[in-house]
Amino acid sequence: MTTAASNSPAPKLVKRPGPLRTLNRAVDERFHTQRALRENLNKVFPDHWSFMIGEIALYSFIVLLLTGVYLTLFFDPSNVEIVYDGSYVPLKGVEMSRAYASTLDISFDTRAGLVFRQIHHWAALLFVAAIVVHLFRVFFTGAYRKPREINWVIGVGLLVLAMLEGFAGYSLPDDLLSGTGLRIASSIAQSIPVIGTWASFLVFNGEWPGENFLPRLYVVHILLVPGILLALIGAHLGILWHQKHTDFPGPGKTEDNVVGHRVFPVFAVKSGGFFMMVFAMLALLGGLAQINPIWAFGPYDPSKVSSASQPDWYIGFLDGSTRLMPPWEFRGLGHTVAAVFWPTVILPGILFTLLALWPWLEAKFTGDRDSHNLLQRPREAPTRTAIGAMAISFYLVLLISGGNDVIAKTFSISLNAMTWAGRIGLIIVPPIAYKVTKEICIALNKRDEEREHHGIETGIIRQLPTGEFVEDHRPKPEPVPDHPLVPTHRFELSPVGAAHGDGAGGRGGLATRARKAVTGFFVEEKGKGEH
Amino acid sequence: MSAHDENPPAQGGAGGGSVFDRVKRPAGGGGEGAGGGGPEALGTPPAPTDSSQLPEHTSWQQTGVAHRPPRAEDVDRRAERRAERLIAFWFFVSVVGTVLFIVVNFVGDKHEPYYTPLLGTGMGLALAGLGIGMILWAKRLMPHEQAVQDRHPFRSTDEETAVLEEEVALGWKDMGLGRHKVLRRSLLGAGTVLGGLLVVPLLNLTNAKPGKKLDHTHWVKGARMVTGEGRLVKMGDLAIGAIETVFPSVPHVNANGETEWPTHVDLHTKADSATILIRLEPGIDKPRPGREDWGIDGLVAYSKICTHAGCPVSLYEQQTHHLLCPCHQSVFDVPDGCRAIFGPASRSLPQLAIGVDDEGYLIARDGDYTEPIGPAFWERS
Ligand code: HEM
Ligand code: FES
Repeated sequence: MTTAASNSPAPKLVKRPGPLRTLNRAVDERFHTQRALRENLNKVFPDHWSFMIGEIALYSFIVLLLTGVYLTLFFDPSNVEIVYDGSYVPLKGVEMSRAYASTLDISFDTRAGLVFRQIHHWAALLFVAAIVVHLFRVFFTGAYRKPREINWVIGVGLLVLAMLEGFAGYSLPDDLLSGTGLRIASSIAQSIPVIGTWASFLVFNGEWPGENFLPRLYVVHILLVPGILLALIGAHLGILWHQKHTDFPGPGKTEDNVVGHRVFPVFAVKSGGFFMMVFAMLALLGGLAQINPIWAFGPYDPSKVSSASQPDWYIGFLDGSTRLMPPWEFRGLGHTVAAVFWPTVILPGILFTLLALWPWLEAKFTGDRDSHNLLQRPREAPTRTAIGAMAISFYLVLLISGGNDVIAKTFSISLNAMTWAGRIGLIIVPPIAYKVTKEICIALNKRDEEREHHGIETGIIRQLPTGEFVEDHRPKPEPVPDHPLVPTHRFELSPVGAAHGDGAGGRGGLATRARKAVTGFFVEEKGKGEH
Repeated sequence: MSAHDENPPAQGGAGGGSVFDRVKRPAGGGGEGAGGGGPEALGTPPAPTDSSQLPEHTSWQQTGVAHRPPRAEDVDRRAERRAERLIAFWFFVSVVGTVLFIVVNFVGDKHEPYYTPLLGTGMGLALAGLGIGMILWAKRLMPHEQAVQDRHPFRSTDEETAVLEEEVALGWKDMGLGRHKVLRRSLLGAGTVLGGLLVVPLLNLTNAKPGKKLDHTHWVKGARMVTGEGRLVKMGDLAIGAIETVFPSVPHVNANGETEWPTHVDLHTKADSATILIRLEPGIDKPRPGREDWGIDGLVAYSKICTHAGCPVSLYEQQTHHLLCPCHQSVFDVPDGCRAIFGPASRSLPQLAIGVDDEGYLIARDGDYTEPIGPAFWERS
């Protein structure tokens, strides 16, 4: 039905349009939309499971916005101390900030409050996780190569902002865990040479724990960072749209084309369905899996802390680097640089800078300055893949060390041993990961090459006249596409000018005629002279 | 569907170019072009009127298509109906989920344990039903074909670039910044000074300059020690091996001329003045030189704020006399002046000299800590 129509001459304008076509024409008369709309609805998106990871990030962001708005309607970001009198009995009569009390109210005394709170938190975890995995897919397939470096840099910005946004949200309820996290953040700010003390005072409005800090944090969490995220995601997707998505090599696919589904209808329906699925999974998690039970931690009290307190997972690597850091505090010339400065400011600073610059670093090392639209399999770039594996193993050692007290307790290992294992592991694991990954890539390439030359093993053993046994090899078949390939546009546009309608309308149905009669009445009354 | 079934994708036309490519070219030859495509190759290259107008990178015409068995839905009307019914079933599941959500939301008791799980389940079903249905719809009932679109290089033609560069150069000349030195310099100057508009609001973000604030806590000479529960601590309240967190209770004289000892501790006091009182077994403490009399009867007082990143150091191991900070596992050896012996903290916890007043209450004997407590900062010497 669809493909048979491809390349047919342009259809004639329908003379008696239904409501949708009427709307379309009304908009077009004001904005000249038809050509752009046609181009964009017919835009082609390639199909591969790994391309959906970025979509998951996008959809969890939308879920965050939706559930977040609901929470703002009930949350009160106030530092004012009150005595709790809600329905959670164990905390009745306890002094706490309005922020903490209103979070309790959302959890216990608001319709659908807890379920939306928990969806919001799960969505935040999924958001950052999807970004990180998306980054891996972009990295290991070389999707960031020219001309897509800018989208890579925007992506790094999104990752950093997503972590910041998550931390700000985590800190809002003013429970014991979040307050402890903020206390450490203030110490980190303080540790910056020269400007640190001022920076911490500016952020927290005075000496820790500051004055009316929560309203300030609230603005950051619901306006500032989401606004920037939204703008950057817009730019990210706008650039993606403009540059067109990369694709893996395959039959019919070249550097100069895109093979896949048109935006309308298949891609739109599939993506819509996929959004629903992501949201559904988060809704189920939010309903069935408890997360961040702030009532169990109690209100923030700077002199209290709960043991085995863990931040959300995406902050874990910083927690780990802080734990592994030797106690190197530098004192001299009347100044001090704290030990926290190195693992929490310098280390992430270096890591994210290297990450952002990676496309140019690689181009410099390989001398490859060409534009690429076809992706590489990880094995096709062994050095890149090995460097990626090295970075991931480095990150994982930090992440695991962020929970080293929990691990030590669970497996009855001494914490001392865990810390030293982390310190040594951080130095020796990454090079091993590099070496092993590179060898694996090279071995895989060798196997691919053999198949290319000798064909695929058939498993059939034959005895040669010489008595020798050999296995039959079947030549590798030429790959062919799985699906029919069709042109993007279904109709040919005739040369400019010829397609204009003659403007002659039909007589129309009864209703139209009736309307015309009424209109005619008005026109006659008001504008007799015009005829 | 039927036209699609009998008529495998016709591959005529001059490629999947944009409208603008197309309008320039005459439409290609008919779909069922000549050329013997084998059974494997359903699509065959069209016979274009002028082959030189075919962009050679538009490769889809040259490629064969896998001879995949058609989907059941494409050839069998009943299979198509079944797929349709399956999709409708999932949409129905969605309706059930939505109804569940609405009913639980309004009729359910929000204090019952079923409330949140049922809401989540209802919402999950509502969304998943729609989602699964939509994906099935796209997969089972929409055509299985891949559209091919050309990419175009981003680089503009040399002419376009040259023209733009020249026009901007002319515009720049019209601005006259090169010729008018005074204009240029005064503009630069004004722009730099305008930076002040950025810095000043930033400085307004703090209610107080840091000054020496980080050097002091709320402890003053003679302040009694009050617990978080509001109890003033007396000599002998702590058994050997016991530990207590205390804060300063700073005396003030009320309207009647009586001295009052406040027992409510505010957040700022808790944040910098939290102090741990530990009663060590006699003879264990090895005081630092000059601090021999800072403790009394095995009682010693140290800042509770970790010198690493400011968490309250809260876990005390009685056997080893170690204080552990739960945040990054720094360990402090209490009898050895709370020296940092493991983890990322590098400074001992500051010690507070304690004494006893006339009424037997423990007090800060000499006033505040003799060094800044807590995490390091640039101005700390
Ligand atoms: C807020 C977080 C993010 C969202 C919502 C997001 C969303 C997306 C989506 C939907 C796509 C197209 C689908 C895909 O290829 O997966 C995409 C592509 C891309 N993203 Fe992201 N992304 C985010 C973060 C990142 C990060 C952290 C990086 C890398 C550091 C990155 C780099 C890229 C690049 C280079 C592309 C183009 C890929 C291609 O054309 O093959 N993005 N992004
Ligand atoms: S805050 Fe105590 S070890 Fe880091």
